[in-house]
Amino acid sequence: MREDAILAGIADVARRHLDWQGPLTAEMRLVEDLRLDSIRLLTLAAEVENRFRVLLDEADEAAIETVGDLVAIVRRKLGV
Amino acid sequence: MSETLNDYLERVAGRPDGGLRFIDRSERARWVGWAEIRDQARVVCGGLQAVGVRRGDRIALVFPTGRDFFAAFFGTLLAGAVVVPLYPPVRLGRLREYLHRTARMLTATSAVLVLTDPRVKRILGEAVALSRPRLGCCTLDDLPRADGELVPVEPSDLALVQFSSGTTVEPKPVALTHRGIVAQTEILNGFFPDTAEVRQSCVSWLPLYHDMGLIGCVFPALSREAELTLIGPELFVARPALWLRAISRYRGTISPAPNFAYGLCTHRIADEEMDGVDLTCWQTALNGAEPVAPAVLRAFVERFRRWGFSPAALTPVYGLSEAALAVTFSDVRGPFRCLRFDREALAGTGTAREVADGREIVSVGRPVPGFRLSIRDEAGREQPAGRVGRVWIQGPSLMEGYLDDPQATIRAVRDGWLDTGDLGFLHTSELFLTGRAKDVVILRGRNYAPDEIERAVDGLPGARTGCAVAASWLPEGAEGEVLTLFVEAARGATDDELAVLPELCREAVLGAVGLAVDRVEVLAPGTLPRTSSGKLRRQEALRLYLAGELAPPEAVTPLRMAKAMARSGLAFARLRWSGPGDGTRE
Repeated sequence: MREDAILAGIADVARRHLDWQGPLTAEMRLVEDLRLDSIRLLTLAAEVENRFRVLLDEADEAAIETVGDLVAIVRRKLGV
Repeated sequence: MSETLNDYLERVAGRPDGGLRFIDRSERARWVGWAEIRDQARVVCGGLQAVGVRRGDRIALVFPTGRDFFAAFFGTLLAGAVVVPLYPPVRLGRLREYLHRTARMLTATSAVLVLTDPRVKRILGEAVALSRPRLGCCTLDDLPRADGELVPVEPSDLALVQFSSGTTVEPKPVALTHRGIVAQTEILNGFFPDTAEVRQSCVSWLPLYHDMGLIGCVFPALSREAELTLIGPELFVARPALWLRAISRYRGTISPAPNFAYGLCTHRIADEEMDGVDLTCWQTALNGAEPVAPAVLRAFVERFRRWGFSPAALTPVYGLSEAALAVTFSDVRGPFRCLRFDREALAGTGTAREVADGREIVSVGRPVPGFRLSIRDEAGREQPAGRVGRVWIQGPSLMEGYLDDPQATIRAVRDGWLDTGDLGFLHTSELFLTGRAKDVVILRGRNYAPDEIERAVDGLPGARTGCAVAASWLPEGAEGEVLTLFVEAARGATDDELAVLPELCREAVLGAVGLAVDRVEVLAPGTLPRTSSGKLRRQEALRLYLAGELAPPEAVTPLRMAKAMARSGLAFARLRWSGPGDGTRE
């Protein structure tokens, strides 16, 4: 799966489950820009796992700050 | 009758019935019998002793919901040690804050060892380095295989340490004995007898480091050799339907959750997720750990009645970690009770007068067996029924004290009575809670020290350093407590700075503690009430705000805020809450 397809998938998760409106770009930070509190971060992680059928683990997640970081991890997990 | 948790475990070992059912995200179930837990715990006990754990040592447990948590938990108890359950990392970020918080909790409890899961261990390094537990950090597989000796424990020995609030600034570890926990377990069991028709079965998604999840669900199931179905809290939050589906599939009779969870279900579960679900088995839906909002209860009934949910199941309760858990229970068989009281009388003279169109308050019921309540004024004098005061409690499962903190213990417990810091009154022998005298922010069933939130905004341009107050409260008609942050403007702050200050505050709090602030009030310097020694008086600030009286000591010029803000505050307070989408959280 290509990077932009993953980004589009994450954007869809954000719209459906986090009521995010507007565009989602790789530079956006999850906490500061998307305004995700703890519960929403959890929701994002779980829904991204569901959508891409990957399992993120704590060590990967620690490094995630931006949407782009999340895309990169999903990409690595998918082995593409 | 058992006198320690270890006795409970020994007793179930020989019996095939009962155990834990873990539900994963694909809703597959994995069954682990209590006897198997006991066997694994013995192995852990041997390993702990081999690495040097001694009786009375405190062991921190950092596990997600799963079998290993239980092996570690009971292994620690069998070794005569004390369990300190801590929470695993928040998903996706805020790792630094998590590690520092964990380090503080490890230090505050003098934990000698951290037991964890291989995945979590990889990131705990910094927390362990900062707090330096004597025996370090290891996973269950790291422990040597060795024959252990079961260490006999006394009912008066400490079994468990749980945090009440303030894990960052002023951690308050609550020390509970075997006797206290067993007493609380038996109290809870008394409400849910097995009958010829119904074998009680509990379903929970609550975290195992939380009193309601651990003491409220695990020990009652263990003591009765019953089954307990568990869902990880992160799964529930992402897919609330998993909770209701598990209740239906495994015919759960009891399931507890804080107020916010009922709201989350109402808003986030789609009809198709409820296909085939039948909630008629759910006899008791306990609701505690945060103030109960009538609107949420009604909406939940309205939404889930179609799938067999009975309004009589909803059971508001009151408890706190200092009491091990439950202090009052409302009628477990009947519908919840909600009365209206005169607003002015409550706010003005602290008198509860029932009126037709007053403030609606949910009854949290009567003291559970063995507990006593007393409503006291500030000087500790008992108040008659119908007068608002501080809620004092006495009962068989009260904490020993705050761990290693005799001064905090003396402040909280006097002559066997614990001053909860909660405010309320008795009416028809039932407790109605009206607010808090203590400085605690309660959101989604979790307690936060306001200092953690206030500290986040220190140093922001335009904010006066050390002059912020965070408070949460339940507005009428709201679905949960709202978090308000009062920030004094710095002298000489520019209009531009003040214009963006609320946004900056929100961002800072979100980043530091992961909480969304519902409202930021920027005030003129000197507006917030202080004690004679200059300490901010948070509850007084909130009281003044809600009364529309939060104003600077004298007219301070061009900051147009204070009075206008105070007026809007009053309007806000009186306004019927219009629900989601209006500046509230979901």
